[in-house]
Amino acid sequence: MQDTVKTWLTEGTVDIFLGYKMVEGHPIPHGFNRDRLDEIDEMVTGPARYPLEKFATQLLQMHPDAKIGILARDCTKRALNVLTIWQQISPGQIQTLQVNCCPSPLGSNTDCSYLQPADTGAYKAAHGVDGSQSLQALEQMPEEERFDRWMYEFQKCIKCYGCRNVCPMCFCRECSLENKDLVGNGHLPPDIPIFHLVRAVHMAGRCIDCGLCEQACPAEIPLRMLYRKINDMMGNLFDYHTGSSPDQPPFSLLGDKPSTGLAPMTAEAAKNE
Amino acid sequence: MTKKRMVFMRELLNFIGIGDRLHLEWISSAEAQKYTRVVSDFTEKIRRLGPNPLRGRAVKLPENLFATPPGAARPAKPESRLAAAKTAKG
Repeated sequence: MQDTVKTWLTEGTVDIFLGYKMVEGHPIPHGFNRDRLDEIDEMVTGPARYPLEKFATQLLQMHPDAKIGILARDCTKRALNVLTIWQQISPGQIQTLQVNCCPSPLGSNTDCSYLQPADTGAYKAAHGVDGSQSLQALEQMPEEERFDRWMYEFQKCIKCYGCRNVCPMCFCRECSLENKDLVGNGHLPPDIPIFHLVRAVHMAGRCIDCGLCEQACPAEIPLRMLYRKINDMMGNLFDYHTGSSPDQPPFSLLGDKPSTGLAPMTAEAAKNE
Repeated sequence: MTKKRMVFMRELLNFIGIGDRLHLEWISSAEAQKYTRVVSDFTEKIRRLGPNPLRGRAVKLPENLFATPPGAARPAKPESRLAAAKTAKG
């Protein structure tokens, strides 16, 4: 792996390679470049994850012509696909070097268990939303109970914006979550459930189920479960599979284009008419 | 587009547990009767559902850790330090 990166850098395939370097015993994201090739020997892989593709997007905003190499898991590939669809990067601008991966219903080829949720305590199991249960199990609960459980989770929010800041798909320059007309500021918890639902809606056609938001959340809100539901809906209603579908997401397309999969939706829509 | 968003939004709200409070209908300005019917029906439906759980009923919390229940009066904002300094100088 180190050799590949060295070759890429010396041959000019990439100008900078984003990977991890061990600093004081912690794997820290690092940009390796051809001026300091010896650093590459310190490059590590492991379960540590940072939104490397977000750093790449930000680098490309500053240096649009840069060629970037990136250490990639399956979620990175989905992220790059979605970022291309949303025109944040151009195809071919980013070279990937595949490493082992973590489990997700959106991806195949998963062999790392790093993201398996931690054990859920009895209190959370009784009053909150258990992130390790299946989406179906949660959906089968009575509506009122679901509401109470979600509200319990949401009211823990300390509005640190960690979920947004770590999200590789959050590239907007102006964020609705900072608009005080949409989400009032100055009190905790933030306006619930608006704060979380605004973010959830914006994840439609974007969330690649990398799980970084949930990992970053200091209040342990099962955000991944919420966005999994979003992905589930995108699949069921519009036959859109974020990260693997090559088309624009359904909310970016007007009308009933076949790619937005109206077939499953018509049954649902007819029921609601 | 609206229809797609509504289908999506309805299911999301349902997932969170506040479904059934969203309705979409296309009504022409010439369809006064349809308008009154739709609005009355929806009003009836909402009345049956009762008050908005986010407002009427404080979120059922097993322990009220640090939460101000939504809808409850929030403590008045403390005067900003800058404003306080100005008054002191004043």
